[in-house]
Amino acid sequence: MSHHLELFWIMLRAALFSTTGTGNLPIVHQDLLSRGWATDRQFAESLAIGQISPGPTGLWVISLGYFVGGLRGAALTLVAITLPPLLVLVLVHGLYRRWGHRPVIQGFVRGLGLAVAGVFVIVLSGIMNTAGWNPANLMIAVGGIVLGAMRRVPVLVVLVLAAIVGIALF
Amino acid sequence: MVEDSQARSEQPTVGGRMSPWRLFWIWMAIGGQSFGGGSATLYLIRREAVERHGWLTDDDFTRYWGICQIAPGINILGLVALIGWRIAGAAGALLSLSGLLLPSAAITVGLTSIYAGIRDEPIVRSALAGVVPATVGLGFLLAFTMVRPLLNSARRDGRAGTFVAVVLLLMSTTLAALTRIPVLAILWGAGALSAMAQWQLVPRQRLKR
Repeated sequence: MSHHLELFWIMLRAALFSTTGTGNLPIVHQDLLSRGWATDRQFAESLAIGQISPGPTGLWVISLGYFVGGLRGAALTLVAITLPPLLVLVLVHGLYRRWGHRPVIQGFVRGLGLAVAGVFVIVLSGIMNTAGWNPANLMIAVGGIVLGAMRRVPVLVVLVLAAIVGIALF
Repeated sequence: MVEDSQARSEQPTVGGRMSPWRLFWIWMAIGGQSFGGGSATLYLIRREAVERHGWLTDDDFTRYWGICQIAPGINILGLVALIGWRIAGAAGALLSLSGLLLPSAAITVGLTSIYAGIRDEPIVRSALAGVVPATVGLGFLLAFTMVRPLLNSARRDGRAGTFVAVVLLLMSTTLAALTRIPVLAILWGAGALSAMAQWQLVPRQRLKR
């Protein structure tokens, strides 16, 4: 039980101190890997499932919660990621109206975003280290970037194509 | 402008005739159909809330979305809470959020449990071996799209602003790669340094003019 409560706390804390659906990834990654509760492979799997399933991409952590703590882990994760966004109601009805235009707040938000992106790149490199930086993997990764950058191709199609390439190559 | 929308959202009248079940159903439909990640979900929410039901104007939608960028957690959930609040107060926010999440979370869990059952099949393993690098590629693209608007707004603050932004980006990347400093400390440190720099830079620019 304490295992589940700790998982809830990790997910809640990560969502509280990040923005967007994947901004919590660096924090969750560090917390779960250091406890040995999840693997790089499971992170990659969760991210892929989060892309395929409907709704915000941020629901990928529900998939991760399932890997770590089964159905109960997934349910607790769902509650944990639903609570922080509710703070936006407080932001709108109080703080942002008064403080949002201040340079200090804007500066903080910008620095936070830059650091999230920087750490994110390192987490992704770690996942790639596990998979291996061989020519085939690099080709697929670059293909994903190119197709994704075109914006016309749905993510689902990119992932299905990658799966077909995987079945053909590996 | 924000005060105006606040006054309106405190007296929820938009969609006032809508029954709770109908509201719940509309959000369920969005949550169940929006395959293709966050942008697909956002697109469907905008179409339903602005174009089909007129719960809010295009302007309000854009402003809400902007505020959600600095709110913690998944931006889309914040947006849904705001729109729901506007329709029917706290009950509206709750109904809208649970409506959106019920089908999408259930499908996510369902896919995960199916996957967990077949993950060791050879064909699934080789398919995943292809999917993982593609996910990494898409992730790099995502990091790029996160950084670009931040660097653009830094550039508008002049050369010093750009310099600070680039240094913070490189510093946080290096610290994450080479040290075991807690990620939260890196994020808060970068936020604090950037806030201090902004506090120093912006008033000076005003004085110059």
